[in-house]
Amino acid sequence: MNTPAATCWHCGDSLPPDPPQAVVAGVSHRVCCQGCRAAAEWIDQLGLGDYYRVRSAAPPRAPDPDRSRRSADAWQRPELARHVVRTLPAGQCEALLLVDGIRCSACVWLIERSLGAVAGVQSVQVNSIAQRARVVWDPQRADLPAILRALARTGYSALPLDAAALDDSRRRESRAALKRLAVAGFGAMQAMMYASALYLGAVEAMDPATRELMRWFGLLVATPVVFYSARPFFQGAWRALRARALGIDVPVALAIALIYGACLAQALHGGGEVYFDSVSMFVFLLLAGRYLEMRARHRAGNLADAMARLVPAFADRYLGDGTLEHVGAAELVPGDRVHVAQGMRVPADGVLDSASCRVDEALLSGESAPLRKAHGDALVGGSMVVEGPAILRVQRVGADTALAGIAALVARAQTERPRLARAGEHAAAGFVARVLGLATLCAIGWSFVDPARAFAATLAVLVVSCPCAFALAVPAAITRALAVLAAKGVFVVRTDAIEQLALASHAVFDKTGTLTDARLELVGIDTAGERDASLAWAAALARGSRHPVAQALARAAAELPVRTADAIRTVDGGGLAGTIDGRSYRLGSPAFALGAVQDDDDDDAVILAGDDGAIAAFRLSEGLRSGAAAAVAALAAGGIEVEIVSGDAASKVAAVAQRLGIAQWRARQSPAAKLDRLRELRAGGARVLAVGDGINDAPVLAGADVAVALASGAELAQAAGDIILDGGNLNALPDARAIALQTLAVLRQNQRWALGYNLAVVPLAALGLVAPWLAALGMSVSSLAVVLNALRIGRRTSAHTTTPLSAADLSRVS
Amino acid sequence: MNILIVLIPLTIVVLIGAGIAFFWAVENDQFEDMDTPGLLPLLDDPPPSSEKSE
Repeated sequence: MNTPAATCWHCGDSLPPDPPQAVVAGVSHRVCCQGCRAAAEWIDQLGLGDYYRVRSAAPPRAPDPDRSRRSADAWQRPELARHVVRTLPAGQCEALLLVDGIRCSACVWLIERSLGAVAGVQSVQVNSIAQRARVVWDPQRADLPAILRALARTGYSALPLDAAALDDSRRRESRAALKRLAVAGFGAMQAMMYASALYLGAVEAMDPATRELMRWFGLLVATPVVFYSARPFFQGAWRALRARALGIDVPVALAIALIYGACLAQALHGGGEVYFDSVSMFVFLLLAGRYLEMRARHRAGNLADAMARLVPAFADRYLGDGTLEHVGAAELVPGDRVHVAQGMRVPADGVLDSASCRVDEALLSGESAPLRKAHGDALVGGSMVVEGPAILRVQRVGADTALAGIAALVARAQTERPRLARAGEHAAAGFVARVLGLATLCAIGWSFVDPARAFAATLAVLVVSCPCAFALAVPAAITRALAVLAAKGVFVVRTDAIEQLALASHAVFDKTGTLTDARLELVGIDTAGERDASLAWAAALARGSRHPVAQALARAAAELPVRTADAIRTVDGGGLAGTIDGRSYRLGSPAFALGAVQDDDDDDAVILAGDDGAIAAFRLSEGLRSGAAAAVAALAAGGIEVEIVSGDAASKVAAVAQRLGIAQWRARQSPAAKLDRLRELRAGGARVLAVGDGINDAPVLAGADVAVALASGAELAQAAGDIILDGGNLNALPDARAIALQTLAVLRQNQRWALGYNLAVVPLAALGLVAPWLAALGMSVSSLAVVLNALRIGRRTSAHTTTPLSAADLSRVS
Repeated sequence: MNILIVLIPLTIVVLIGAGIAFFWAVENDQFEDMDTPGLLPLLDDPPPSSEKSE
């Protein structure tokens, strides 16, 4: 029961050697840092301790209290606040915050409650998909810094977005779509009720006055469906016609207009059959498909948000007298000198103006190891200073920075990508056009034979073939596939990605962060003495440090008897020193441990040295991501050619390629070079699946036939991805491909069924042999068959592929 | 059958009422957050800050 968990109670990160304690509801728990301690205790004080009971995913590590207070206070500056706060007519203020790390619905609840507890806050709405919170407050009693501080205390860092984002087009779009769908749904239900009375009335005698009444009420409910709910189809058709094109909307709009117009004429004229139920249901089903598609699209990241998260909002600018001034990053101009503290991101492009520092450019270049920079070396905006501090002399800001250049490349690659026409929609459009032609023929034919029956027969053709099944065949299958995939942690953003995933012939993987983990792994020990003993000594020194190398050593020694070291010192840029059993040891780079000057390139080797020289050398390598080997093997077995294209050094790429059994690899590729490689493959007729996580992968992702981004990676990569893998488990990828293949098969079956049904029934309708109730019934049954068939997707594969629990999951469960 | 003359218009009135209620709900943010409401039954009522749960 009371086994001490090895992870932070608040965020689930690994614990430092002497963890702080957080007292929640009278029980003390071990946490990883002061930020998490403050957050946990604050949540308890607010009476929101239930959060820990109901959450399904751990939140991110809480921000450092001092730092977050400082950046919250900076929003006091009127020149910054002006851009992000909007004053509502009633005098309240409103702002939109981009909140980092909303992982589950418990997070949403926690944020809403904790902000609601701030005096003066009037409403809080959190959108977990967009990771945004909309806050309205009374400026007399609260202000933006107070809100940001409250959020930071709860453990979330937030960034106010430009006030222009408040007019959220996505929100407007989804509200309008929901209303249209509801009107169509209500209308279809009601029209169907009146219609079934009419159909039954045809069997049992119904007096003409009642029939007339039913007909008029059918018209009454179908009219808003056609004029309000179906408006997007008419608008789409009009746009297409003006652009002299025939999209899916043109035949759909035409069919709706024709059926409705004909029924209207029948109702006004009296006599004849009306099909208000069919036209309403047609509109409803089409809208339902589009609504689901829209929701998937809204899940996608947005390029502007991604950029906002990467570049820090603030910078510490040096004033003439050498003091620091906290300003917005947007206020920087070339020539400014900026102080960047350790662990912070560089706010703009420039050169290093202090002696030396180490920066992590992994997300930008794919380089896995932090780079050492000397005075005068270039620093790229968005990279993180891992060993600092650094002083930056700003050279380029805003749209001129390298990061903005990559974002522009992404935007261009996205527009260049040939939008593969959605095969299903295309087939439906062609089909509707043919039906319309057939209906015309039918009308002409009957007008020669028996003009009195021409109208009824033509209408029957339109209704019986009413391309419901066709229009539904694709959305039903795709929607089912989306739901099945989402349950596996695979979020499909662009729906035609499913089709592309099934058809892919090549897979291009990024290495750093995609195939490999941020964690290092110990792969070898070179020593003259005893391996275990030297590892235990090294771990004793390393256990206290957060440096990735130290953590890898501590992890590797987890099963060895624990040694304790005293007087541990951390030497910046070198390593760790301390004493064990009265003898002193040093652990770190060869230069530091041996006191010898060596070339600085060999970052991989870590030396443990005692007073009389080297004891052991530890070789570390990047850890493979969980499921990477299995995923690559499964894709290769499925006939896909796998290739690594990385920005990292050749030796590291080769090592990973060899471990995964991948023959094709390229190293030292810039984002533009990666995109060129992609074009080359595509020119050879390949359909390329790209998998990546970094900013440098974003252009490739945007240019690929189907792009898979990891949810743990950069926002920019996710914004360019078609499919987002949650939880970083690459194993889900072959599963997703299996489902995509199945979806494609079901889709084809559905289309064949719809075609067969129509071929059988349309001629009968054209001959005037189909009674109106039979036409409506046939249409419904055919639609139902298509939907039921779609429900088969995911049945077969989910039966035997249960994702194995990783060790991390198990420790969280216990 | 005369009862139909009353009942059928009544369905329209109910329908319009439901439509108005739905539009109101959409406009008043009832569909903004589809995640948290499912959690609410699992949570205790937020106690006044001084009170401790159990």
